[in-house]
Amino acid sequence: MLSKVKHIHKLTNIRRERVLPTEGHVIVRRMQKVTPTDVIVVAPSNPKYILLEIAHGLNVTPARADDLLQRRAGDELAKGDIIAGPVGLFQRVIRAPHSGLVRIAGEGKVLFEISSPLFELHAGMEGTITNIIPERGAIIETRGALIQGVWGNGNITYGVIQPISNNLNQELLAEQINIGFRGAILAAGYCGNPNVLEIAATIPIKGLVLGSISSDVLPTAKSMNYPILVIDGFGTKPMNTAAEEILVANRDRNVALNARVYDPFSGKYPEIIISQPNQPEPNLPIESEPLVSGKRVIIVKGSQSPQIGTIDSIHSRKKVLSSGIKARVADVTFGNEKRATIPLSNVEILME
Amino acid sequence: MDTTTVSAKSLITVDIGNTITRALFFDVVSGRYRFLASASAPTTAAAPLFDVTEGVWRAIEELQRITSRTFYTEKEGMIIPSTQDNQGVDVMVATMSAGKPISVVTVGLLDNVSLLNARHLAQTTYSEVIANISLNDRLTSTERINLLFEKRPDLIIITGGTDKGASKSLLSILESIGLSSFLLDDSLRPHILYTGNEELQEEVKKGLAKISKLHIAPNIQPVLGKENISPAQNVLNEIYKDVRKRQTGGIREVISWTEGNFTSTASALGRVIRFLSGKYEPEKGVMGVDIGSYATVLAVASSGAETLRVFPNLGVGAGSTGVLENSSLEEITRWLPFHIPEQDVRDYINNKSAYPASLPAESDQLEIEIALAKQALRIAVEKTIPSIHKRSSTHKSLMPPIEPFIGSGRILTNAPTRAQSLSILLDGLQPTGVTTLALDQNGILPGLGAASEINPLLTVQVIESNTFLNLGTIIAPYGYARPGTPILRIRVNREDGRTFTREIKYGSLTVLPIELGEKVSLHLRPLHRFDVGMGGPGKSGKVNAVGGSLGIIVDTRGRPLPFSLDPEKNWKRNDTWIKGLLKYE
Repeated sequence: MLSKVKHIHKLTNIRRERVLPTEGHVIVRRMQKVTPTDVIVVAPSNPKYILLEIAHGLNVTPARADDLLQRRAGDELAKGDIIAGPVGLFQRVIRAPHSGLVRIAGEGKVLFEISSPLFELHAGMEGTITNIIPERGAIIETRGALIQGVWGNGNITYGVIQPISNNLNQELLAEQINIGFRGAILAAGYCGNPNVLEIAATIPIKGLVLGSISSDVLPTAKSMNYPILVIDGFGTKPMNTAAEEILVANRDRNVALNARVYDPFSGKYPEIIISQPNQPEPNLPIESEPLVSGKRVIIVKGSQSPQIGTIDSIHSRKKVLSSGIKARVADVTFGNEKRATIPLSNVEILME
Repeated sequence: MDTTTVSAKSLITVDIGNTITRALFFDVVSGRYRFLASASAPTTAAAPLFDVTEGVWRAIEELQRITSRTFYTEKEGMIIPSTQDNQGVDVMVATMSAGKPISVVTVGLLDNVSLLNARHLAQTTYSEVIANISLNDRLTSTERINLLFEKRPDLIIITGGTDKGASKSLLSILESIGLSSFLLDDSLRPHILYTGNEELQEEVKKGLAKISKLHIAPNIQPVLGKENISPAQNVLNEIYKDVRKRQTGGIREVISWTEGNFTSTASALGRVIRFLSGKYEPEKGVMGVDIGSYATVLAVASSGAETLRVFPNLGVGAGSTGVLENSSLEEITRWLPFHIPEQDVRDYINNKSAYPASLPAESDQLEIEIALAKQALRIAVEKTIPSIHKRSSTHKSLMPPIEPFIGSGRILTNAPTRAQSLSILLDGLQPTGVTTLALDQNGILPGLGAASEINPLLTVQVIESNTFLNLGTIIAPYGYARPGTPILRIRVNREDGRTFTREIKYGSLTVLPIELGEKVSLHLRPLHRFDVGMGGPGKSGKVNAVGGSLGIIVDTRGRPLPFSLDPEKNWKRNDTWIKGLLKYE
């Protein structure tokens, strides 16, 4: 059975595409080294259009209005430049309402694009540009640690990671958040109180990484303007030990925190990247593998989640679970030598 | 009709769902088509593979293992048609529900007429309406252009104007659509489906054909008050296929294996339900229900007319948070048979959405999923009921008389007990009168729908082979009484001449222990002007019925099912009802 993979690597090769959905101007070159704040591509941010009714404005027929047009599609105009006219006793004219570009002109109308400030797409991670995607963006590659999350509030940042303690198995409490964490990305076990997130915003912290989050806290988490990334799921459970180990070992290092909203259709997860370019080059991570004995897995559901264990054996026949459902199961041994029988659907292969 | 070996064509149907890809094999046995085997594998449409073919191969590989027949080899790929040594398969068809819903902007003249038609059309496939444009919205041309440019829909559905009706107003909106399409790159330009006033078709072609992917379908509302969705629905299905080809890896290969016999799962479900409606009592109607991981689909056919509704983000897996967004938590927990802390229910739903393929290992987890399924179905039913009522109906908020109801989806087929499957359908659908609840236990409905176009005989013969499990005959009178008041007398006449009588009180769920497949004659005598579907309130009558796997169930709990303000009472009552059904499992 092919299993989903959860990526929690101490060292791997990371390749990410950073692209705009629309045309833009790529300003990086191949093999250029970038930092998370470097701009990769610029494009007009959400351009606005105005349909100018030239014929109506000049009080002439559309055909006559076309004769009176002084501009053509593609012309760039400053605010107040004449687009059409003059006509009539009072030499009536139509002027550009803003600076911008004529996109279409004819049949008595002009579709005008208002100049808008440029949107800048940042690299979002440290690395090397290995490929340019013309007019859209670039591929960035780096090597380092990678932790894949399951939920993000849509924000992105770059900063120093500071685990709240060496054991990320406890609830993040308001009294633990002090001025010493100002500007840092905090890592903690779980959050069950929305006030804690609000207090963190007042410090302010730069970002927050949690093992799990109580569903009651989600509305507040969504409204925070700093990134919040959840690694394992929802509830009040400690962070999985593989992610905990990486975050604690990288205390005070810079991390790229991309708390994007998980999109099940594109398969893009929120993630943390800790670039370590001086490490020996590892392979690219494998994206899909069959579940077999000996595989390290993370439990994603039920009372054992998010424990990490190793598959001892996969039962050849379906087993009746406590719920009464029949399912393929595996015997999994955890780090503490405890053993449990887990449905195959409730594990993901851990790529470390 | 027998099927000769010469004319027989074996068939594989593949259904690519958001979580599971299922492959089914049909062939001729003893002169008749039969469903022979089913296999499944995880769907690989999303990360990390982004290619559906891997999931399809693995499902077919499993099918090969089960049937000991080779359908493909590394060297030859799919073996189509079958060879003389009985390898391969003659025909392959595929259906698909996986993938992001198509984003749709609906455009019409008036909100409550043409936009409603457009929304109904959009709901016949996996789509999400992201904006509406009409004369009521008071937007200027500039605002409309900016709206369409920002939203960048996959599809714009334009309706409006009866034939020979208003045209000028619609033309002004068309100009905004044309200009916004012009502003986009070729690859981002939306499909445009025009299904409005037929007199404007030439104008529409002139204005939009060069700058968009324009499709024209007959007017969805040729005369005021008469909705004619079917022709446009077929065109929409073609657009769905085209969008999927562009968005999902491997679809082109699947289309080539199936020689184009590829459709949306919802459309195939609609087709087979229409087919079944012709087979049963066409007047009464048939309903098919698919409760999926991401979407819930309802298809109703009666007297040749079909109503198909797809509700994306309303399911028991990836769509479970959609159930939470569409209802309060209390509306979900009211279906539980015991108390589970609200916090745990919310966390479970969010985790299920994050890990949709995961299974409920513990019984409380299963109960949450059953509650989710009931609520998802309830939401879908309440939104669909107004469209399926005949104009003369007096109880427009209740389910009209339909028989049978056929349920599919993993939550129903994987439920540990048939009582749980039945309770999901009974509570979610809340049927009235006398009807049958059946289970598509092998998930063959969409495959049969897709096959019905190219091999209708196969569809007929497989349906006749008792492929659906009869869960039970339901008798559900409606009316008003105090709980405990006798409201129905039933006399059951068995074929061997034995009879027995029951007096049923209001507010109960009673099982009449009739064996699976046993035919009986029922005399129903409602009291206190209750309506049991015999022609009006208080009317008695005789009806023939067949025992299902849970016998015959008399549901006098009320329509719509009432709930107490005290959640404890609801949980206790649900527990009593499910235990009552389980006794007859």
